[in-house]
Parts: sequence; C-alpha cells; structure tokens
Amino acid sequence: MSGDEELAKDLGPLAALTIGVGTMIGAGIFVLPGDAILRAGSFASIAFVLGGVIAIFTALSASELGTAMPRSGGAYYYVNHALGPLLGSVAGWANWLGLAFASAFYMVGFGRYISRIFDVSGTVGVGPVGLDVVTIAALVGGAFFVLINYVGAKETGRLQNIIVVLLVAILAVFTLLGTFRADPANLPAPSTVGETLGTTGFIFVSYLGFVQITSVAEEIKDPGKNLPRAVIGSVVLVTVIYALVLVVMSAAVPQGFIADLVTDVAPGETQPIAVVEVGRQIQGALMGGALLFGGLLATASSANASILASSRINFAMGRDRIVTPALNEIHPRFGTPYRSIAITGGLILLFIVAGDIALLSGAASGLHLIIYGLLNIALIAMRYVNPEDYQPDFTVPLFPLLPILGTVLSFALLAYVEPDARLLSFGIALAAIVWYLLYARSRATKQGILGKYILHRSEELPDAAVSAATSVQPDGGDYRVLVPLANPEHQTDLITLGGAIAKQRNGTLVAVHIETVPDQTALESAREKMDLSASRSLLDSAREDATAFDVPVETHTVLSHQSFEGIFDAATTYDADLTVMGWGPDPHGSPGRAESAVDELASSLPCDFLVMKDRGFDPSEILLPTAGGPDSELSAAIASALSAEYDARVSLLHVSDDEESGRAFLDEWASENGLPDAELIVETGDVEEAIERHAADASMLIVGATERGLLSRLVRGTLVLDVIEDVECSVLLAEKKRKRSLWERLLGDSR
Amino acid sequence: MTGTEPLFARPLLPVANEDDADRTATLAFPHVAAAGGTATALHVIEKAGGAPDKAPLEQREEMAEAIFEWVRSAAADTGVDVETDLRYGTDVAETIFEAAEALGATAIVFTPRGGKAWWDLFSGDTRETLTTESEIPVVVLPSREDDPEDDETVDVDSPTDAEETTTGDDA
Repeated sequence: MSGDEELAKDLGPLAALTIGVGTMIGAGIFVLPGDAILRAGSFASIAFVLGGVIAIFTALSASELGTAMPRSGGAYYYVNHALGPLLGSVAGWANWLGLAFASAFYMVGFGRYISRIFDVSGTVGVGPVGLDVVTIAALVGGAFFVLINYVGAKETGRLQNIIVVLLVAILAVFTLLGTFRADPANLPAPSTVGETLGTTGFIFVSYLGFVQITSVAEEIKDPGKNLPRAVIGSVVLVTVIYALVLVVMSAAVPQGFIADLVTDVAPGETQPIAVVEVGRQIQGALMGGALLFGGLLATASSANASILASSRINFAMGRDRIVTPALNEIHPRFGTPYRSIAITGGLILLFIVAGDIALLSGAASGLHLIIYGLLNIALIAMRYVNPEDYQPDFTVPLFPLLPILGTVLSFALLAYVEPDARLLSFGIALAAIVWYLLYARSRATKQGILGKYILHRSEELPDAAVSAATSVQPDGGDYRVLVPLANPEHQTDLITLGGAIAKQRNGTLVAVHIETVPDQTALESAREKMDLSASRSLLDSAREDATAFDVPVETHTVLSHQSFEGIFDAATTYDADLTVMGWGPDPHGSPGRAESAVDELASSLPCDFLVMKDRGFDPSEILLPTAGGPDSELSAAIASALSAEYDARVSLLHVSDDEESGRAFLDEWASENGLPDAELIVETGDVEEAIERHAADASMLIVGATERGLLSRLVRGTLVLDVIEDVECSVLLAEKKRKRSLWERLLGDSR
Repeated sequence: MTGTEPLFARPLLPVANEDDADRTATLAFPHVAAAGGTATALHVIEKAGGAPDKAPLEQREEMAEAIFEWVRSAAADTGVDVETDLRYGTDVAETIFEAAEALGATAIVFTPRGGKAWWDLFSGDTRETLTTESEIPVVVLPSREDDPEDDETVDVDSPTDAEETTTGDDA
C-alpha cells in the first residue's frame, strides 16, 4: 500500500511550489507592472509587498487547513467543511468563477504578448462585430488550453515545472543586471497612500496562485511538510521577485519611460509591455526577446494551472451536492472531467469577450479576497471547535491574531478593488447564497463543523446563534422514499412500508398519485380540465396512514401518459433515494404495453427500487435469501430498517455447494450488512426449493434482484420466478439504482 | 508462466471505466468460468508523474471503486471468482504489464473500445502497446462486430462526439 501511496501522491516540493509560483508570476510580472508604476510611482513596489503581506496571513491559514485535510478542492473544501454548505456554496462559486475570471485575464495578457511578438494589432471586423487582435489571440489561446485539458494531454503539467524554473532564471538575470543600471534619481515620485492601496487592490490578482496548491493537496507527497513549504514559499518567493523587479523597472530607466510606454500608444496599437521594453532598453534585444517569450509562457501556464484547479473545485462541490455531480463525469476515453472543463472553458471565453482587463482582474481579485476572508474564518472555527480528527501538521503561529488579521485585511482590501468588479464579486457571492437556498439546500449532504457544534451545544449557546445555525442547515442528504399509489387496496401497506423505512433513515416520505392521461390528451390541457378530487382524497388518506411514523410527508399528483414512465419521472423529479411500489395484478397498467420503452427506462434505475407483492404487511418474521451482490445489500438494509422498527426477526438464507464455506460467507455477510443478530441458515441443493421451504415459516420474503433487468421483466409481465407466486407471504423485490449499461443497451432483449 | 495452463486460469482484465468493465466482464467471465479460473480486474489510475493530474485523484479513486463494484456484481451473477487490483502509473500499458507479472497472470484480456483516433497522439496508444509488447498472451475479445445492432455502438459513442463538437464551437 505504501508503494501505491507513493505513486498516487507524486507531487514533490518543487512541483507543488511551481503550481503556486507559475500561477502568480504570469500576472504579477508580465502584465501589471506598467500600470502599477503609472499609478503608484516608486510606491509600486510597496503596493506589491503590501499584497504579499495580506496574502501571507491567508497562506498560513491555508497551510494549516491543508495539512489537516489534504483533500481535493482546497479552499472550497475547508470553508464548506468548517462553516457549512451556505458559505461553502459562496466559497465554491467564488473560487470557480474567480479562477475563470483570472484565466480570462491571463489569456488577455497572453493575447498582448502574441500581438507584440508577431507585431500585429488593430481590429478585425467580422460583420458588425469588431474584435481587436489581442482579444482574438486571447480567445484562440484560451480555446487551445481548454482543449488541451479536455483531452488530457499529460505533457502540459510537466512543462509547467520547466517554464517556472526558466522564468525565475530570466527574472534573476534581469534583476541582477538591472541593479547595475539602477540610479535612485530615476525613481518616479511616490504617489499617495490611498493611491498605493488602490494599486494593491489592482495588482492583487498576482496573489491568487498559492491557494490553487491546496486544491491538489491530495496529490502532494508528504503534505504535512511539503504543502506549507509550497504555499508559504510561493508567496514569499513571488513577493520578493515582484518587489525587486519593480524596483529595477523604476530605477533603471529614466523617469517617464514607463509612463510614455503606457500612455503614448497610437490608436489601435497594442500597448507595449513594460517589463519587456525595460529589458530591451537596459539589456538589449536578447533580454527583450527572452522576456517576451517568458511572458507568453507565464500567462499560458497561469491559465493552464487555473483550469486544472477549477476541475478540482467542481469535483469537491459535486461531491457535496452543491452542484450536480453529473458536472464531473469522467470522459470514457480521455479520462478527464470533460463537462467541467468545457463549462469552465466556455466561461473563460465569454469573460474574454465580455470584460475589459480591469474588470477581469478585479473580479478575480474580489472573489478570491472573499474566499481568503472565509478561509481565515474557517481556520478560526476549526481551532475553536477543535474536532478530534483535526490534526494539522503545521499550525499558524500567534493564533488567533494572524488569522484575524488575515480576515480583516482580506475583507478590507475589497474596498480598494475596482468598483464594478467589486459589485460583480458581491453579486456572485449573493447569487451563491440564493443558489444554496433554492437549489443546494435540499441536496447538500454535508453539515459544517461549526453548525454541528452550535446545534450540539444548543443548551449553552445563545438562542440567536442556534436558530441561525438551524435555519441554514442542509436538509438534503435527506433520505427520500417515494411511494407511487395506484391501487387503494394496497395503499396502506405500501405507505406503512415506505413510512417505516423513511422513519428509520430519518427521511421524508413522498407519496405521489400517478394519474394516467390518454395519449391523445396533452398533459397541459389535462392539468386544466381534469378532476383531481379523487387523487386528492387518495393522497389525503396516504398522509393519514403515514402519521403513525411522524416523518415529513410530501404528496404530489403527477400526470403522465404512461404510469410506469410516470414513476420514473417522479423518482427523478422528487429526487427519490428509494421507490416503494406495488406489483399486483396490473397495479400500474403495464403488461402488454410497449416493451422496448419499458426496457429503455428500466435499464437504468434512477434510484433504488423496492417492489412489493402484497399479501398483507407483516414484518415479524423476515426471510432474506442472499448470494451476495449489491441488490441483496439493499435487501439487507431494508430488513435491518424493518427489524429496527418492528423488532422483526430476520433469517438469512444462503444456498451453497459447500456447507462450511457457505456458513463462513453468510457469517461475514451478516456482520458486514448490519445484521449480526440474524439467524443464519445454510442449505445445499436447489435454491428455489430452499427458499420456498423456509418461506413457509416467514411472514415476509425480501429478495434481491439476482440478475439485472429484473424490474423491466417484472413490469412486462415476463418474469418467471415461480417462488414468488408459490410462497404465501408478502414478497419484497429489491433492485439497486444503477447506471444504464452500454452492454444492455446493445444487446437489449437477448439477455 | 508455465505455458500448460489454460489462458483463462488467471486472466488479468484491465478495465478503464464502468462500460468497459461491463463489456469485458460479460465477454470474459464465461471463459473464466469454463476454465475454472480466477480473474483479476485491474484499473490503472494514470498519473502525470510530478505534475497535477488531468482529473482529481479522489474522483478517480471513487470511480475505481464503482468499476470494481460493477465487476464484483457481474462476477457474483456468473459465479466467477474475481479479485480487484488498483494501481497507479504514468504509463498505463507498462503498469498493466507490471501487474500481470506480479500476479503471475496467464493472459491479459480486454475488449477494444472503438477505432484508433487522433487523440491517441496525446494519450498514447495503450492497446497497441499491449498487443505488441506483452510477454504473456493477450486475448482481445471482439465486441460483436457483425451484429446488426453494432450500429448502436456508433450511437453510443456519438454523445461523446457531440460533446467534442460543442467544445469545438466554444473554441
């Protein structure tokens, strides 16, 4: 296992460091310095150092959280874990969109380099739309890097290490040679403190990269040691580089050189890139060319690393059901989360077209500052609650001073972010809250450490805190039992079965009446015309039957052309985890109808299914035959719920060729499936005969679908399972949710 | 490898995803059952080797578990003994060979997944390497090429192609 571990976690200290440095340096050195010097004069360097200082507090907090929880998703994961899914949703969306804005910004920088290298500029008109060359190059470059990540070319990642080492080398030479030319007399006049802070807000996009290291924390070798080194080291390293390069840029060229570069641009011309022109001026064409080429690589690697990081955040959000996990499906051939990458890529391209460079960098900074603030609060919460499994290898010194400073400074710097971008950032954060309340709250599976703590100690804590914590708790992960009703005769038994399971799982019972509408009638018009009073009374009595269990009950009437499709639709619509349905003589009007349609549906079950052949509901003596497999695990879960609710006796039956190995199997299976107290019966010989014999003593028989596709054959009426007809007790057939198998789609009925 | 053992005594089944697992299990397990053998399902998580991977590690570990779950349930259906092996490697084919050697596999058994394509340039052609460089027998189980329903294969792949086109449009 340790060998595997080593292979799985293969990011060494240098690789981890270069993720951070590579993401940050592209923006800091190769895009922003010209404007920064123009705004802050000789204080430009100070503006960058100030940014580094603000970032370092968050870097310390991120390091502690990262060593305690080296998980996929980084900042989002920590905030969600500590502060719960409401703020988790804010952090997740902010991180995701922040990265998309940042990538768009990097690509515009990339476009500028392309434009300068090939010396093309101006606007290319396509019909009424005119795009300048920089935007077109940014779009093409953005699309290219998205495509690279979509098909998962593995060479790109390794290139990053080389690029970063190369960049640092170029900049070291630039700085070293530059200092010989430096003359304090060249320094432009310093600007005001306010303007310097404004510059810090403007350049803060140069400090986003370190938190991306935590998003791949699970892949870092020896994270306890390497993660803090990489996170803190990358911030320190880039801050030093920024400060030195900025000083050299200001001091090595005559006053006004940079200002002329930035402001004295012919209309339609791409603005010269400050660092490149300074390099050319003081160290000749070779350095100018090296910096030009370096800038191209730097902006590209920044965007590439951000796209990779965003798929981690999507994955972590999907795992917690803040977004649909379908977003993260892995491509069968490329092995990449292609949907996530395609959507992120679409956003990047949209942002390139829609936003100017100041808005892009501002929104990226604003969103990340929100995350940084939350990250520091998450650390404070984890330290305060101090759960047992919170064992960071690295701890922030001077707690709580530093994380409090990190929180305050991060939120305070928001005031100096460009107003439009700030508004956009707050708008996105607000939208993420609305998203949580409307979409994710009913689905999110994870409760925050802080929320749990407050609710757990509700006696001692102020009421306001408790009620605030209660009102935003996720109610999803809630186990939802759907009971479609058709035949009033079996309704009570179905509701009783569903209610008992819902109660044991602390879940919700969803009763639906599926009203069939003739094919000729459009569902919309049926909704207006039909008399639903019968349906209402059916559902009312269902609600009454369920009162005994004291579980939340929802009722719905569903109109459908085919009742069986209706059940599947309802299971999806109402987000069911388990559907409990009856199967009698034609309970849902199915046999004889289009078989292929049923197959099509039943080949991929939207949730677990439990089908009851009702001969009276009496769970006192449950017989559960098993040969292992996922479907009989579902049977076991049902049996254990019923036994907890009704104190039922459960007997497990296993038919094996060999008595001894059969007993060993059953023994292990029983304890694995939470039925350690069940009576174990091992038989040899004919399976059906054994089931029938033991079912004579049982009041209920629970059978797992031993072969897939059982439900479809059941509905079509082609199921030949004599034992179900021959026994005298009620029978429950259990079939697990599953994905539609390609094989079954190919072969269809031939199985 | 003794050479006298049946091919399906200890076959190694490399599986890339759930569909692949399903197809391979369905085609291979009857042979394994006939030989009274024990199959080993292998999933390789491709690592970038010192750079961030193309997909989250935890996600792929979860996916591996789902694949193995699928294999185990198919094995239970057919009464075949199956073991599972999860490995990490920068070169998928190489990792498969290592696993085969470590397990003393009698054959490497897989089903092809559609035609060779341009992106093999990026991802490396694992299938080609398996068939040309293996030191033990390699069994390629055809997935019913002549079947009229084979058209379906194209359909099944087409959502992928559609996605592909969509991204192209984005670009």
